[in-house]
Amino acid sequence: MSDAIVDGWCARIRDCAAREAPVAIVGGGSKAFYGHRVDGETLDTREHAGIVDYEPTELVVTARAGTPLADLETALAAERQMLAFEPPHFAEGATLGGTVAAGLSGPRRPYSGAVRDLVLGIRVIDGHGRHLAFGGRVMKNVAGFDVSRLMTGAQGTLGVITEVSLKCLPRPAAETTRVFECPADDAIRRVNEWSGHPLPLSATCYVDGRLAVRLSGAAPAVEAAARKLGGDAMPDADTFWRSVRDHAHRFFERGSGEVLWRLSVKSTAPFTDFDGVQLVEWGGALRWVRGASPALDAARLRAFAASHGGHATLFRGGNGRDGIFHPLAPAVMTLHRSLKEAFDPVRVLNRGRMYAGF
Amino acid sequence: MTTATANPASGRRDVSGVVDALLTRYGARAVTTRAIREQHSHGEGLADPALPDVVVYPRDNDEVAAIVRLCHAARVPVIAFGVGTSLEAHVAALEGGVTIDFAEMNRVLEVNVEDLDCRVQAGVTREQLNAELKGTGLFFPIDPGANATIGGMAATRASGTNAVRYGTMRENVMGLTVVTADGTPIHTGGRARKSSAGYDLTRLIVGSEGTLGIITEIQLRLYGLPESITAAVCQFPDLGSAVRTVIAAMQMSIPVARIELLDDVQMDACIRYSKLEGYEAKPTLFFEFHGTTAGTAEQAELMQQIASEHGGSAFAWTSAQEERNKLWKARHQAYYAALALKPGHQAFATDACVPISKLADCVLETRADVEREGMTAPIVGHVGDGNFHLVLLFDPKDPADRERAEGIARRCSARAIAMGGTCTGEHGIGVHKLDALVEEHGDAVKVMRAIKHALDPTNILNPGKTVPMHD
Repeated sequence: MSDAIVDGWCARIRDCAAREAPVAIVGGGSKAFYGHRVDGETLDTREHAGIVDYEPTELVVTARAGTPLADLETALAAERQMLAFEPPHFAEGATLGGTVAAGLSGPRRPYSGAVRDLVLGIRVIDGHGRHLAFGGRVMKNVAGFDVSRLMTGAQGTLGVITEVSLKCLPRPAAETTRVFECPADDAIRRVNEWSGHPLPLSATCYVDGRLAVRLSGAAPAVEAAARKLGGDAMPDADTFWRSVRDHAHRFFERGSGEVLWRLSVKSTAPFTDFDGVQLVEWGGALRWVRGASPALDAARLRAFAASHGGHATLFRGGNGRDGIFHPLAPAVMTLHRSLKEAFDPVRVLNRGRMYAGF
Repeated sequence: MTTATANPASGRRDVSGVVDALLTRYGARAVTTRAIREQHSHGEGLADPALPDVVVYPRDNDEVAAIVRLCHAARVPVIAFGVGTSLEAHVAALEGGVTIDFAEMNRVLEVNVEDLDCRVQAGVTREQLNAELKGTGLFFPIDPGANATIGGMAATRASGTNAVRYGTMRENVMGLTVVTADGTPIHTGGRARKSSAGYDLTRLIVGSEGTLGIITEIQLRLYGLPESITAAVCQFPDLGSAVRTVIAAMQMSIPVARIELLDDVQMDACIRYSKLEGYEAKPTLFFEFHGTTAGTAEQAELMQQIASEHGGSAFAWTSAQEERNKLWKARHQAYYAALALKPGHQAFATDACVPISKLADCVLETRADVEREGMTAPIVGHVGDGNFHLVLLFDPKDPADRERAEGIARRCSARAIAMGGTCTGEHGIGVHKLDALVEEHGDAVKVMRAIKHALDPTNILNPGKTVPMHD
């Protein structure tokens, strides 16, 4: 049945390529806000859902792209396992395919790996309508180019993801969150210092003048680290971290005309006030900046991110006139165009989602 | 095995013009002597030399870019060379051309202790990097065995014994400077945790074996030195018990840094070579735990408990460095112990990776194949990842012996693929596994070929490797 669905999609993409008609790939629509709007005939991945293979002893799960993330997480939780990159859902109905295509990871990312680190293999339909498999279900694979990782975060512009194999990890036996009241620069300094120590950190978040630090692992290690760090225990920490992960925390409530920027920088980048409010995650490496659109100057934010080894993305809101994603150097842009050409020469797949033309 | 056939001069022009230009421009840093060209004609795998026309030693990114531009204009092959420890003929100059040796690009450019990262030139070796990190409290954990260059390790997506805890080059390269096929230097990734905007070019280039671009600089993640390291060794009645012990440990999330398996043939070789006492020629697991003093002691104890539930015996563990080295001596000397089994023979190393539940079966079936062929081939496994290595000992003077070895390697690849694994978890494709790549990936190889064509339209970057350009 499912093979028939994929065969059908292949035929559709071949047909669209022949007609030069763009295809807009959609899943649960939970990340529709992310990236430029795509026009085209809708290809809904949700009809291709379900876990194909889950062997808890292997710590590997393979599921179809349309599988709801929530279903996948429930299946893993039943075996006391998890997706270690703590994927954001943002809204109900988020799918596995969309999660991998967006390439976004949650609070645990600096400590357990990004989505791309945990993708072991992937199946995609390219712009020629060919269904192809890259990578596999094993931890190490150096056979050929690492196309699985290239697809992760390519936002469907290089292929329609149909199936993904992911490494999963056992859930930590114990977890606790400590809270510290401190100014922002102090919070950034502290988390960077702690990152260099053998502490079982699994998330950090600075918001509203408070630094929250999550510790995960074996109970004795977590307890010892909590004693060492001090601070206060956070009640109902799971709810807090879920709200940060999914942008349900009130920090992410945008007033009218407000935009949300995502700055990915080296973790020690100094705290800088951008005429907006900030939430700092990932041990200092991820800075969310919310504020009024004209005051938050794209050029300034991008210059700051670039000078600290990273990049800035207009994550939500705004008109995207200055581009949503960080501009690419000309030679890098040339490589991007070449890659798009290799996978999807007619540019039918999610055309324009990332940059003009792809 | 794919034979290394050159594509005779198709579109290739004027190698001698390029050689002359390099000799003029780089003087003593461009070398055409036979000895040097021979030294750069093969890695550590099967010798089968294929000589470049010239070896050149650039000092910076601009010089690399200039050399590639010259090669691009003349459509002359260009091959990056670190210290030549690759195993699948990655550096063989199948069609001649220019080999770029990174020996003079061996500077650690920056170490950012607070950011836990560093930037190095491609010619820095991993031991050199760790020596330069002394006193910072940081280290670079990826350990493929050989003292390879960081550039070579990035190009082959190297991993090794530490991968269970620290990952492979894939997870630890944050960004690159790469010279593209037309001689343009580009930067990928950066110092931020999340890869750079756009497609993940860093991870596309990592593991591309010099066929998509020449890596000149690498931004690497570093780690705090663990407060404590403990090591343990345990013997098992059979391979299955050893593998089941590892599976149980992974399920319990014991943060093992290394888990190495030596099969009974390899242990027999090690006992004799390293003059070990107190061990039998039985499948043996070697563990290393990194963490806090309390943590690593607890992990070793927990490990002993699991091992004994699976029939483990002769369990020994220690935290003292000298004792650790002693415990791991067999593992460290495994390759030489294997060679000593058959003096006068050469080693043909191959590797494969399978789901861990299939590891015991895959190893045992491979062993049976080795015995059927009347060969000797000790096996060492990075068992936490389902990855194992076969060292096939063959008589270099007997072509039939080598053919037998090649047959076993070929069937080992096919077996791993049939079990849901891959034809190589560490060594790479190079020249030798092009057929296996097609077997494993099918039509997807066409897309890899399209990627190669997109990034290197005139096929000058390490031609004949990684992806077969013809059906």
